[in-house]
Amino acid sequence: MLTKLAMTGFKNRWRDYLVLFSGLIMSSAIFYMFEALATNQSFLKENTGIGLVGIIFQFGSVLLTIITLVYIGYANSFLLSMRKRDYGLFMLVGARKGKIGQLIWLETLLVGIVATLAGILFGTLLTMGISQLLISSLGLTLHHLAAWYFPAALKTLLLYVGLFLLAGLFNLIALTKTPALKLLHSNDQPNRPQLKPVWQGIQIIGGTLLIAVGYWSMANLDKLQMLGIAIALVTIVMGTYFLFNAIFVGLIVWLKHFAIAHRGLNNFTLSQLSFRIHNYTKILSIVALLFALALGAITTGMGFHRQVPMMANASNAYDLALVNPTKTEQNQIKALKPKTQTNYHFKVAKKAVYYQASEFNTHPFTTLNMHGKNQLAFKAVTNSAKQLQKSQYSYQLGQLQTNGNQMKAAVFLTPSAYQKLAQPEKTLTVFATKDVTANLPAIKRLVKTAAKHDASYKVATNLGGRYGAYLQINSMYSGLQFMGFFLGVAFLAMLASCLMFKILSGAAADQHRYQMLDKLGTTQRQLTGAIRKEIAVLFILPGIVGVIHVLFGLQMFKFLMVTSPYTGIWLPFLIFAGLYLIYYLITVKIYQRIVLQ
Amino acid sequence: MPNTPIMTVADLHKTYGKAGSKQYEALKGIDFTVNEGEFVGIMGASGSGKTTLLNMLATLDQPTSGEVTIHRQPITHLKGNQLADFRAKEIGFIFQDFNLLETMTAYENIALPLTLQNVAMKRIKPAVENVARQLGIAEFLTNYPNELSGGQKQRVAAARALINQPAMLFGDEPTGALDSSSARELLDLFSKINREQAVSILLVTHDPFSASYCQRILFIKDGRIGQELKRGDLPRKDFYQQILDTLGTFEQ
Ligand SMILES: Nc1ncnc2c1ncn2[C@@H]1O[C@H](COP(=O)(O)OP(=O)(O)O)[C@@H](O)[C@H]1O
Ligand SMILES: [Mg+2]
Repeated sequence: MLTKLAMTGFKNRWRDYLVLFSGLIMSSAIFYMFEALATNQSFLKENTGIGLVGIIFQFGSVLLTIITLVYIGYANSFLLSMRKRDYGLFMLVGARKGKIGQLIWLETLLVGIVATLAGILFGTLLTMGISQLLISSLGLTLHHLAAWYFPAALKTLLLYVGLFLLAGLFNLIALTKTPALKLLHSNDQPNRPQLKPVWQGIQIIGGTLLIAVGYWSMANLDKLQMLGIAIALVTIVMGTYFLFNAIFVGLIVWLKHFAIAHRGLNNFTLSQLSFRIHNYTKILSIVALLFALALGAITTGMGFHRQVPMMANASNAYDLALVNPTKTEQNQIKALKPKTQTNYHFKVAKKAVYYQASEFNTHPFTTLNMHGKNQLAFKAVTNSAKQLQKSQYSYQLGQLQTNGNQMKAAVFLTPSAYQKLAQPEKTLTVFATKDVTANLPAIKRLVKTAAKHDASYKVATNLGGRYGAYLQINSMYSGLQFMGFFLGVAFLAMLASCLMFKILSGAAADQHRYQMLDKLGTTQRQLTGAIRKEIAVLFILPGIVGVIHVLFGLQMFKFLMVTSPYTGIWLPFLIFAGLYLIYYLITVKIYQRIVLQ
Repeated sequence: MPNTPIMTVADLHKTYGKAGSKQYEALKGIDFTVNEGEFVGIMGASGSGKTTLLNMLATLDQPTSGEVTIHRQPITHLKGNQLADFRAKEIGFIFQDFNLLETMTAYENIALPLTLQNVAMKRIKPAVENVARQLGIAEFLTNYPNELSGGQKQRVAAARALINQPAMLFGDEPTGALDSSSARELLDLFSKINREQAVSILLVTHDPFSASYCQRILFIKDGRIGQELKRGDLPRKDFYQQILDTLGTFEQ
C-alpha cells in the first residue's frame, strides 16, 4: 500500500525526476568519460611520453570524485526536498517509521543505480563522439583509445553506488528523525543574510591565504612535483569556498544600501540571491573551479596545437628533400610553387656525404640559427660551403640527406677531389614552400609518390625538413592536445550540468514568486530583466574567479611547453567566453520558459 | 460623491475549455456596479464561480465576453505594459494564501509596488511606515513572512495592496486561512480603511460572518447573480442573521 503511495508520488513529480535524472546521468557520463582516459594506462603512456601526465590525471580523478561527492549531495538534497512532503504525509496517516525508512533507502538507491547505468552508456557514446570529432578536426593520431573501457565503467559504478548508499543512509536519518509537521513545512525556511564581520574577516583572510598558497605551489610545480598539485587542489577549492562565502553575503547586504537596489525588481533579485545563499556559495565555488579546469584544459590543448606548426617551422629552412626525384615528382614540386628550390649533387661513402663546395657557394644553404632561450626564436642564415662546414647548425643539412644518411657528416670538396670519388652521383632536391602547414596534403601526395621507388619515405623519422618534423611533433603532441580539448569539453559539460541543476531545481519554487510579481503589476520586461540579472550574477562571479585561477594555473605548464603558456591566450579565452555566453543565454531561456510560461 | 460607479460589470461570461473539447460555462452573464467607497461582498457556495468572477474583475484572467470598467477604463482587453501599469496603480489584491514573497522582509514586500514604479527611496519609507502603522504591523517590518502569524501575514498583504492607494481593493477569501480572532481583526481593518480612506472593496467569501462586514452582498449561484442584500443601517449582528436566512433559502 505504501509502495503504491510512493509510486504515485513518483508519477506526480516526473518532471522533477527528469531534472534529477538528466543531471545525474550527465554527471556519471562525464565521470566515466574522464576515467576512460585516466585509467587507461596504455593510452596515457603511448600518447604523451610525459610521466607527469599520468599523475595529473590521477589528481584530476580525485578532484572529479570530490566534485561528484558534492554534486550527489546536492542532487540528494533535491530528491529529499521533493519527497519530504510526501513522507511527512505518510507519517501523518500513520505509516511506520521503519517502513518509510525502507522506502527512502530503496528509492535513493534505485535512482542512483538507474542513473549511473544510463550515465555509463551515455558516457561511452560521448567518448566515442567527442574523440572522433577531435581526431578528425585536429588531425591527430592516437593509439589505444577505447570508448568502452571496463575498469572505468566499474570505477564509475562503484563510486556512484557507494555514494548513493551513503546518501540513502543520510536521507533515512534526516527524514525519520524529523517530526512529521516539520517535514510538511520545510520548504519555506528563509536564510536571513547575516553579517558577522569577525567571522567574515577571518574567512576572507584565510581564503586569500589559501588561494595564494595554491597559486604559489602551481608556479613551483617543478620543485614540488606531485605534492604541488595536491596542495594547489585542496587550498584553491577551500579558499574559493571561503571567499565566496564571506564576500557573497557581504556584497548583497552592502548592495542593498544603494538607491539603485530599490528600483524596479533589483531588490527582489538581491533577495532571491540571498535567500539561497548557502546553496549558491557551494555551487559557485564548484563552478568557478570547473570553469578554471575547462578553460585551462582548452587553453593548454590549444597551446600544444599552436605549437606544432611553430616547432616544425623552427626545425629547418626547407620543407622536404628528395633524392633523385623523378619527372612526376619534379612536376609535383613545381605545382607547390616553392619559394626556394635547390639541387645539390652528392656522393655517399660509408661515413660521409660528399658535396661540391662550388654548388654551395653559388646556391648557399639556409640554416635556422637559434637565438635566445626560446627554442622557437631563430634567424635564417645563408651559408657558403665554408660557413656551413663550421656552423653548428649543419645538422639541418644532415637531416635532409634522408635514406639512412642523416647521421653522416657532410663534406664539401673541390671539383677535382669530388671527381675522384668512385661512388655514383645522386641529386638532392631541397625545397621550401611559403607555408608547410598549408601544403600538407600536397606534400603528403608527393611523399607517397616518392615512396614507390624508395620505401624509406614511408617512415616519418626518415623524412627531413619541416614536413617530417611536423609529422613527428604532431604525433608526439596529439595525446596532449586531445586530452586538453577532451577534458575542456568534459569539464565544461560538468559545469553546465551543475549550474543547470542548480537553476532548474530552484525554478519550480520561483514560479509562484514570478506569478505573484505578475499579479502585482510587474511588466514582462521587468520580469525577464530580473531573471537575466539573477542568472548573470550566477554566471559572472564564478567566471571571474575561474579566469583568475586559470591565469595562475597556467604556470604549471611552463615546463611542458616550449613557448610561454600565455602566448595567444586570448583565442581560447574568447572561444570559451563565447561558449559560456551561449550557455548563459540558453539557461535564461529555459528558466524563463519554466518560470514565466 | 456617493453613487458614482467605480466599477461596472456588463454581461460577463466565462467558459472554460477550448471549443471542441469539454467546455464548462462558469459565468453565465453577470451585471453589477460598485460605487465609489462601497464595500461589496460576493457570496456563493464552493464552485459557484466566485474566484472565476474575481479573476476577471482583477485582470488576472480574460472573460469570454462582456466588459468590466474600473475608474472609467475598460480593462478586459488590457495587455502587456498597460495591464501591468493598471495592476500596479489602480487595484490591489489580497488572496487566501497570503501571496507574500518569502524571500523578502515584510517591509520589502509592502514596498514592492512602489519600487516597481521606481518611486524614490525617501518617499517609499514614510509610505510603508504609514500604512504599516494603520494596519498595526509597524513592529514586524523587518520580519520575514515565515516569522509572522497568519493574521500578521494577511495584514502585510493588505498593506502591500493598499500602499499604492488603489481605486479598488479585491479580496478572495482573505480570512479563509485565519483563525476567528485574526479574521475579525482583519475584517475590522477593512471596515476602517473603507470608512476612513474611502477605498472601494470587493470581498469574495463563502463565510457569512465575513460577509456581514459588507454594505451590500451579491449572491452568486451557478454562474449567475441570484440575489442582492443591502445592509442599510442594520447593525452587523442583525445583518449576519439576515445573511444566514437568505443563504438558507438561496442555497436550495
Ligand atoms: N481553470 C479552470 N478550468 C476549468 N474549470 C474551471 C477552472 N477554474 C474553475 N473552474 C470551474 O469553474 C467553477 C467555478 O470555480 P470557482 O470560480 O473557483 O468557484 P469558487 O471560487 O466559487 O469556489 C467550478 O466548477 C470549477 O470547477
Ligand atoms: Mg474560490
